[in-house]
Amino acid sequence: MKRLIVSLAAFSCLAALPAHAGWQDKLNNLMNPESKEGKILSGATQVLSSSQEMTYQTECTVGESLALDSMQRFGKPVNNEALQKYVNLVGNAVARNSRRSTIPYRFVVLDSPVQNAFAAPGGIVFISRGLLNLLDNEAELAAVLAHEVGHVAEKHALKSIRRAQFLQGAASITAATMKGSKGQQFESMIGDMQSTLFDKGLDQGMEFEADQAALETTYRTGYDPSAMTTVLEKLKRQEATATKNGSWFSTHPPLDERLVRVAAGLKKYPDRASLAKLPTRFAKFAKGGKASKTTK
Amino acid sequence: MKKTVFAALLMLAAATAFGAEKRWVVSEGTTLKSEQSISAANLADLPVGAELTLVEDGGRWLKVQTADGKEGWVYAGRVADAAPVAEVGGGDGLLGGTMQQSQINTAKADSARSIRGLSPETAAYAKQHGTPEALKKELDRILARKVSDKEVKTFLKEGKIGEYAR
Repeated sequence: MKRLIVSLAAFSCLAALPAHAGWQDKLNNLMNPESKEGKILSGATQVLSSSQEMTYQTECTVGESLALDSMQRFGKPVNNEALQKYVNLVGNAVARNSRRSTIPYRFVVLDSPVQNAFAAPGGIVFISRGLLNLLDNEAELAAVLAHEVGHVAEKHALKSIRRAQFLQGAASITAATMKGSKGQQFESMIGDMQSTLFDKGLDQGMEFEADQAALETTYRTGYDPSAMTTVLEKLKRQEATATKNGSWFSTHPPLDERLVRVAAGLKKYPDRASLAKLPTRFAKFAKGGKASKTTK
Repeated sequence: MKKTVFAALLMLAAATAFGAEKRWVVSEGTTLKSEQSISAANLADLPVGAELTLVEDGGRWLKVQTADGKEGWVYAGRVADAAPVAEVGGGDGLLGGTMQQSQINTAKADSARSIRGLSPETAAYAKQHGTPEALKKELDRILARKVSDKEVKTFLKEGKIGEYAR
């Protein structure tokens, strides 16, 4: 495919040449990077290399670096090993039924009152204590985590940033290249990703896609997918009073629009009501054993 | 590459013409069962990415045929109507190598990561960025917190979720 596009680019360069020029000379010029034709071709190949995929290893470095920065912004993980393990079990149960099931995922509850959840590339998913406290059963937790797994699976964060410069040449980073200009490109890429994930938000289409992925993944795992609706309704009730900065409110599409699309998506799962919700197990780990609230 | 895409399109067109619906295995540890039950006999292990032909849609369980002609039941949650996302395993991994190979690379990368703790690349980023030592330790703990297939199965079983629902 790449060869085909290069040939097409070369052909279009040739087509643009004046009729009186010897085409053979011009073809030779393509090989000379200093010539006009050579520069056009080099531009075409740079576009190609910037669209290449990042390796999984580099994706993990991006994710780990972003994880460090997000803990600096939102707070450390909650110091409760049983809760962290439980959230990892729910998250891994859905992740193993996602479209990207073979990479290892980690799920972390951050000690932050801001109601938020986000995913770092490579599979580290965060949920804040603020958002977890709003939930009432395991299916709701599974829905939030599956939404984030959807972003990881479709590489939404990576697709949202200006990464062309970083991906030119070697599309990977090493400890040695972190110090040089490649490292600067890497840092600017992480900075760009932070402002996308925590301030601007991802593209609305990506959020809707992640919601639909969450419905499918939770359903296929065996959780009631309509839990996504109850999570969004709870968030809606909080909207007037909650902290907006860096939360699911400021970085995600309007809740009403998400609710409409989720309701449409749920029609694909007519037997959903019979599936697992598990409020008691959720309460045991996430609410210190206290009975879950049924209404708010 | 071009030929492969063309051949794949032709095969897809042929499958559609004959009405054969395809499913792809997306979950690890998927097995082909002799009956619609988790406790039924295992007929085959189905790797992630394996293409199946739908024979009968039984709701939560699907009767399918594997590429080598074996017929049996698979839990509907373990398959999807689109192929899973393939991993880019190595430096020149784009579209190179088989999906299974890239998954092996992925697994290797992860186990190497857990032995070392923070990867040297992330450690270099942290150093450059002046990340507090305490946060590096927190990330180490996050990466060390692994969940095995067995633990997930037990967890689903205890919650009577999916294949384990009664």
